[in-house]
Amino acid sequence: MEKTVTTLDKGTTCSSWNYSGQRMATGSTDGTLAIFDSVDTASSSFTCSSRSRLSGVGSVVKTRTWLDKVQVHEASIVKVVWVPPEYGDAVACIYADGTLSLWEEVVEDSRPLQWKLCKDFNKSSNQVLDVQFGVSLTGLKLVDIGNIIPFLSLTAFLDRTQVWSTKLSPYEAWLYKVAAYSDGHLKVYELLDPLELKNWQLQAEFQNVIDSVSKFGKAACLSASVSWSPERGESQQLSFVLGFNSNIMQLNSAKVWEFDQDHQRWLPVAELALPEEKGDPVYAVAWAPNIGRPYEVIATATHKGIAIWHLGLNPDLDGRLSVEKVASLSGHEGGVWEMEWDMSGMTLATTGGDGVVRLWQSNLNGVWHEQAVFEPTT
Amino acid sequence: MKMPGLTSDPGETSLVPFSSEVGPVVYPLRHGLKPPIAARFSISWSRGNSLRVSGFQSEADDGEVVRGKVVEVKLGSGDSEIDHAQWRRIAYGSVSPFALLQSHKNSMAAVSKMSAVSSPYDAEWSDYVMEYSRDIGFLLGGHKLSLSVGIEDTKTVLKKVEEPTCLKAAWELMVIFYADHKSQAWTPEQLVDWLAVRTSFKKIMIAYCQELSQQFIQNLSTFKRNLPVCRFDFAIEDDDKYWEAISSALAVGWLDVAVKMLRLHGSYQLNQVGSREIENGLVEAVAVLISKMPHMRLELAPGKLGECFGTKPDFIKAWEKWRGQISKLDCSAFWFQCDHRQTREGLKNLLQIMLGNANILSSATCHWMELHVSYLLHIRPFTMGLESMNNLAQKCMQLKPVSFPHKLMTLLLGILGENTEVSDVVLAECSRSFGPCTMIPFPSAVQLTGGSPQSQEQQFRSGHFLDEQPVLHGHPFAFLMLIRYPFGRMVVHAAELLAAGNTQMEILLHEERHNLGGISMEELHRLVYAQVLSSHALTWQIAPIYLASCTKQGMALLKILLYKQPVHHNQILLKNIEICRLYELHKVSSKMMKIAGVHHWKHGKKGSGVFWLQQARDEIRLSRIAQQLFDFVGKSISDESFKQWEGLIELLGSESRIAGGLEFLHKYVHDGIATNSAQKAAESLILLMKNPSTPQRFWLPLLYDSLKLLNWQEHPLLNVSQTNLLLNKLQELSIVARLRPDFTEADLPSQALSSVRLALATNLGRAILEE
Repeated sequence: MEKTVTTLDKGTTCSSWNYSGQRMATGSTDGTLAIFDSVDTASSSFTCSSRSRLSGVGSVVKTRTWLDKVQVHEASIVKVVWVPPEYGDAVACIYADGTLSLWEEVVEDSRPLQWKLCKDFNKSSNQVLDVQFGVSLTGLKLVDIGNIIPFLSLTAFLDRTQVWSTKLSPYEAWLYKVAAYSDGHLKVYELLDPLELKNWQLQAEFQNVIDSVSKFGKAACLSASVSWSPERGESQQLSFVLGFNSNIMQLNSAKVWEFDQDHQRWLPVAELALPEEKGDPVYAVAWAPNIGRPYEVIATATHKGIAIWHLGLNPDLDGRLSVEKVASLSGHEGGVWEMEWDMSGMTLATTGGDGVVRLWQSNLNGVWHEQAVFEPTT
Repeated sequence: MKMPGLTSDPGETSLVPFSSEVGPVVYPLRHGLKPPIAARFSISWSRGNSLRVSGFQSEADDGEVVRGKVVEVKLGSGDSEIDHAQWRRIAYGSVSPFALLQSHKNSMAAVSKMSAVSSPYDAEWSDYVMEYSRDIGFLLGGHKLSLSVGIEDTKTVLKKVEEPTCLKAAWELMVIFYADHKSQAWTPEQLVDWLAVRTSFKKIMIAYCQELSQQFIQNLSTFKRNLPVCRFDFAIEDDDKYWEAISSALAVGWLDVAVKMLRLHGSYQLNQVGSREIENGLVEAVAVLISKMPHMRLELAPGKLGECFGTKPDFIKAWEKWRGQISKLDCSAFWFQCDHRQTREGLKNLLQIMLGNANILSSATCHWMELHVSYLLHIRPFTMGLESMNNLAQKCMQLKPVSFPHKLMTLLLGILGENTEVSDVVLAECSRSFGPCTMIPFPSAVQLTGGSPQSQEQQFRSGHFLDEQPVLHGHPFAFLMLIRYPFGRMVVHAAELLAAGNTQMEILLHEERHNLGGISMEELHRLVYAQVLSSHALTWQIAPIYLASCTKQGMALLKILLYKQPVHHNQILLKNIEICRLYELHKVSSKMMKIAGVHHWKHGKKGSGVFWLQQARDEIRLSRIAQQLFDFVGKSISDESFKQWEGLIELLGSESRIAGGLEFLHKYVHDGIATNSAQKAAESLILLMKNPSTPQRFWLPLLYDSLKLLNWQEHPLLNVSQTNLLLNKLQELSIVARLRPDFTEADLPSQALSSVRLALATNLGRAILEE
């Protein structure tokens, strides 16, 4: 039933497919970023077309024959995320030491096509845990329909733990990057020039808490997960969901953040946790595509299992969105690692510590259940 | 396996009972990784509903290099009896019948809105539905097996044993009961035909033939050519199996086969004629009676035996007369003169079948479906309506219980029972035949008793998937689920027949459901089908047809589907743009052109990059490009660099509303002045004017902007030949201006041309003096 698409390099730790499923980027323990391509669009056989590695100074992109000589940046890549395609063929890599770098495939000054480091986010005391890119319709400075500002959101965290995830939200207009950091902070960066992935401006920085007044001690986060709301209508607000796995209860629960155009700030509009579960560390979040449901569907994963949430579309007087937990599903022993919705938002695929892939669906009565399991065999 | 916790209670409104013993189907994922299995798996949805799983080997392994792998799993591709190429053929072929039916439906809906009278269209509508069912049916099966394969061509009997696909059979069943309204009066007869094509009886025949000697087979083939002289080395009529085969054929209505087999009887052989006249006469009399069996139908396929009667009274009359003849023969005194025991008994048996002797029928048939058909033919030829057919079916099932209900039987029972005879056990099992994930939410799933997924699948394919009779419970909704079982991916088409043929089904299919996010079952089927189609690079282009027929969520899914196409391939981009134009998705097409534009720009194809960004009207990126160009030109100006940017200036300038078109040239010249390197600026001006890629439209604005340079106080910046060059250009411009009065740049003052001319003249004079 299954078909082998490609064989990975030894030491590969993570992989990510681009928007069309035609390219795959992988990261490995020695810090090599490898790109896999297929010969034509109908083929499902992929071969490695490029391998690049971060060196100490600037970028060094080498072909396979060169590679062995460049051993400067030793850190392992722990996560790769593709930048939305309207910004070119580019990926963000999170390294085990908490740094984040953007790589782009370009032809420059009559040199051949190559993967080039276009931005290395300064290493601070905080480590990047997750990054996702989002594109919004209404630009922050230029209210010009049809143009795009990327958002890059970073989540970082300290500790000896690493950067975990980075995602880019597909919004029409401006690219933003949300990154979660290891100190429990969330940073939203804005891309200044749609053609240059090196110019980013910090647009906002906040903690993943509903009540901004509350104070707490130094946070130590193991992981974080961000998911932008997939693109829908033209009028939709830019929003994402974020959860932490940390030692601070208030930070952990998954919260939905929405950008308030009028006041130019990010507001928490919903919290995806029952009152008694608010402190539970969150392993993963995934916002489902919505092709016309009158509500949004978001999946969150904690040590108790996977929860499926319905999120209302219309805010109440306080600006909050209604939240309903429609299912709690258990299955993965050893925690959930990854969750991915299919294109219609009807099927959720998950992986976890038990080393199996599970598929979840709602039946006609609206009851969620496990539809299938893929158990690895040799 | 732990049962998923439920926080929402299906409660009273539950459509189908939810079984509590839920468990997922477990599939192996052959990953090639060494045990202990890799530390990590990573998942990503690819096209449609194919899932890609990356497996990473943990580092702790010994020295041996075991590399991780990425595998792709296509979900919901459960039609094992149809291969991929054929499936694509069906997928493509069924598009136009579907689209045609939708357009008929829409236009009729429009007409019926305008006029209250709807009845005249019913007949027309059923014609459309029949046309549709024929088209699809043709795609599913190709050739229909002929019933006359029996004796004439033994070799083909043996060759054609491959049964038509289940899919085709299921489709024909649906057509009989839901689409073919005109033939409703002959439904039992249609069912006989349907069964005849795919009954297991054929296998009995073949088995029988195979038991006979090879010589027999050879004789059979010569039989046709030399009928009168055909000889057997043994008497076929001595064999009980011969008579059993004829009985079976007659019982299920294979009249032609029965008659042909009868005529193989030894008494027909020339050397026997003298001694076996009576016996031969009896055989022939039975054969004639068989071939005259009345049918209530308009016509028979060529080669079929029997007499047709279109109306019930005519049929009843003929049938009674025919029965009378049989009874008469049965009581005939000739039987006493026939000394061949097997012949006598065999023929008598055949008469009993025709007289409707239930015991004989039961022994002549093996499956309840065959018994059912034999009842319809020989005992209750006047059976009408689903209810009586269902009662009959239930009775036959009691007489010949089956331990392994086949999916076609289940489908038939569902239809006959007005869609209530479907158990959720069966339903649950059905869900397993679709591969790991059916994509259509299923009411429930039940754990099998055991065995590996493969063996379960095996059981299922052979139809042997349950050890006991399913507990029936009734709801048409369950039937709606059931039809996915025989139809698989074609369920979207089966639903069309259902909706066309049954009001209750139509309501069920069209009702909007909150649990489905506000869409109907029909729409869900189509969305899921479109997703299956999008899984393959060769079929995704037909998915939009189905998505367009989904009023609620189709367009949103179509947008997602289009966004996922690799648009830096020009052909795919063009195809996408065409689809967008068709469905008026202008925003989507502009985003795709933008993606393509950026890709080309960044990959060194500057011209295509700018072209697509212009098509996308992406002013921000274009003005950024203009800025880059200007910066570039400003850095160093040489023929070389101009060559590199060839075409770009023109492209940028061709859309005058795009900011940055002229600006960079203006700015260049102005900057030149500002930096006080006037001489350099003048040289650049000449370079620009000399360069063939500088559009003519730029000349005047450039020259006008350069007035300051032309009138430079200290000394003339341009020498004589340079000034002459510019004067020539100016002359060209004035010729153009005469030809096209609207040519003058709106932004420039009307006297621009003359001011430049004057300045150039002055400069020329000064230059001549200097030289």
